[in-house]
Amino acid sequence: MTNHTLRITAENQPTVMEKLLQVTRYRGFIVTGMTMFPESDSSLLTIELSVQSDNSIEHLQYQLNKLIDITAIKLDSDAASLCRT
Amino acid sequence: MTSKQFKSGAALLFKVLQQHDVKDVFGYPGGAIMPIYDALYDSDVKHFLCRHEQGAAFSAIGYARASGKVGVCLATSGPGATNLITGLADAMSDSIPVVAITGQVATKSMGSDAFQEVDIIGLSLACTKHSFQVRDVNDLAGILTQAFAIALEGRQGPVLVDIPKDIQLAQVEQALSLVNQKNKTDAQEPANVGSALALLNQAKKPMLYVGGGVGMAGAVTQLREFINITGMPSVATLKGLGAVNSDDDCYLGMLGMHGRKAANLAVQECDLLIAVGARFDDRVTGKLAEFAPHAKVIHFDIDQAEIGKRRGVDVAVMGDLKVNLPALAIPLAITEWQEHCQQLGKEFANDYTYLGKGIYAPAVLNEISNTLKANNQAEHTVITTDVGQHQMWTAQHMDFTDPSNFLTSGGQGAMGFGLPAAIGAQISRPQDTVIAVCGDGSFMMNVQELGTIKRYQLPVKIVLVDNSKLGMVRQWQQLFFDERYSETDLSDNPDFVALAQAFNIKAKIITEKEQVSEAIEEMLSHQGPYLLQMKIDAFDNVWPLVPPDTANDKMIESIK
Ligand SMILES: Cc1ncc(C[n+]2csc(CCOP(=O)(O)OP(=O)(O)O)c2C)c(N)n1
Repeated sequence: MTNHTLRITAENQPTVMEKLLQVTRYRGFIVTGMTMFPESDSSLLTIELSVQSDNSIEHLQYQLNKLIDITAIKLDSDAASLCRT
Repeated sequence: MTSKQFKSGAALLFKVLQQHDVKDVFGYPGGAIMPIYDALYDSDVKHFLCRHEQGAAFSAIGYARASGKVGVCLATSGPGATNLITGLADAMSDSIPVVAITGQVATKSMGSDAFQEVDIIGLSLACTKHSFQVRDVNDLAGILTQAFAIALEGRQGPVLVDIPKDIQLAQVEQALSLVNQKNKTDAQEPANVGSALALLNQAKKPMLYVGGGVGMAGAVTQLREFINITGMPSVATLKGLGAVNSDDDCYLGMLGMHGRKAANLAVQECDLLIAVGARFDDRVTGKLAEFAPHAKVIHFDIDQAEIGKRRGVDVAVMGDLKVNLPALAIPLAITEWQEHCQQLGKEFANDYTYLGKGIYAPAVLNEISNTLKANNQAEHTVITTDVGQHQMWTAQHMDFTDPSNFLTSGGQGAMGFGLPAAIGAQISRPQDTVIAVCGDGSFMMNVQELGTIKRYQLPVKIVLVDNSKLGMVRQWQQLFFDERYSETDLSDNPDFVALAQAFNIKAKIITEKEQVSEAIEEMLSHQGPYLLQMKIDAFDNVWPLVPPDTANDKMIESIK
């Protein structure tokens, strides 16, 4: 199992968190931590998602990137090493 | 354009549908969508009343697949909406552009477990590209416009728009603003045409693996041109059938679990596999680690998430096939390999000798296909199927001139697809012949749609392949479950001829092979709807078969 942290920017839409978590689970990732807060103008969300899996994180990124309300995804490689296994 | 033209959200809905060139919709009314049905009463959009919302969803899919347009279906809240789900899942798996519009309880009742309230947004998220709930009537036009754009862009798929009843009734206040579109044209890696060309030039045994993406991209012409120029041998997936010209002697037909032996053997031998709009589905690859074991892979796709999802890729060529296929079309010196593939094709050509006494379904399906060709009718005929043995026989033994002429539930394998999909196809192409090849099990899953055929006098032809079994499951029980035939017997089927006749559909049953040619003739020349029930042996099997998790060259070809 490898840990990863994704920094995600998303439109602040009612379904976005649900869909994000659904895809993450469906593609075989366990959520180990999450923070979410709206940007100052509240039209965008910043989400930090820590996940664990044997699957390729790149593929999760590709799948999440297809979600209409997700505008940017960045893999935070430093944060990953901070997670406990 | 200002709001003054419109009365209500419901009326606006039809205005926007018309702006998107929607002429036909499929649906079923109910409480929470009544304002929309009321507005429909004054609209020029033509509505087809299906007899189950699943029928409406499959008809919208058939309409979309046969015409290349977006299919639209309507359903009420609660059970109406949940009945659409199988259709949405099918459209998601097979990348079909569909917009589903559901009524919802009024916003003030939402979240109170109101009558016929179901969280369709939550339910649909897993089987749509996107789901919208309209909370303000002034957003309605913008959301619908986005829904159509999302359904069509990139990899196509279904979108759901849930509209609460009060929003349908609300007066549109503001001028129509087409909200900023947030369509995602994903940042994709540049097409690696250079590296792909290098691999292509080195290859001695290249093989084209053609998927449903070719038809979806409208790239059949470019694919055929590519094959003409390169001379490359090819195989196709279930959804890719029709893309390659079936007369090409280097075309080996379908690959995979029930693929042709020649196709599976050649793929196992190739040194370069070029996947075009295909996704290495488990029904295609068999045991993944042993699929095309000597091949480097070039993968053409529109969806980055498919690259390397199941099989590592040497070069990905992302983007529009219409642009990328011509960029790679170079003549190749592969005569020996071409001859080898042609040889395999000849050696393992379909064989219609039948040891049984009665009707042999593969031979009948092949005869229908040949008759259509002989009548120059093939191009103007859509074949749909249900799911099971008859589906695989259709894929193996009929030729299609275009992917839009062969509609089958691929990714989901949803029984009950054939009849409603044929209805949708017939409505989108009224001049063309539409034939639904159904299994006796699957047919009963959406048999109520005979009512739709009756109502609109649709000249759909139904070929009912009747083995009085859930044949495909029965075959697996025979092969892999010690012949323990649990719950697969259908010998108490209804009288299908009487059933069809109850819907004013001309029907005939045949039991002997001598009756076949005349029955095909009669069916094809009949002006209205027609059901041809053919009784076949309950123990006929689909061959070859690659057992689960086995390499594709280890096919079973008969019962030992
Ligand atoms: C909705 C749904 N339920 C169950 C299945 C599993 N299944 C696959 S094929 C099959 C048998 C189909 O029987 P029939 O339609 O008579 O076709 P045949 O195989 O006999 O040609 C079943 C039950 C399915 N594919 N779809």
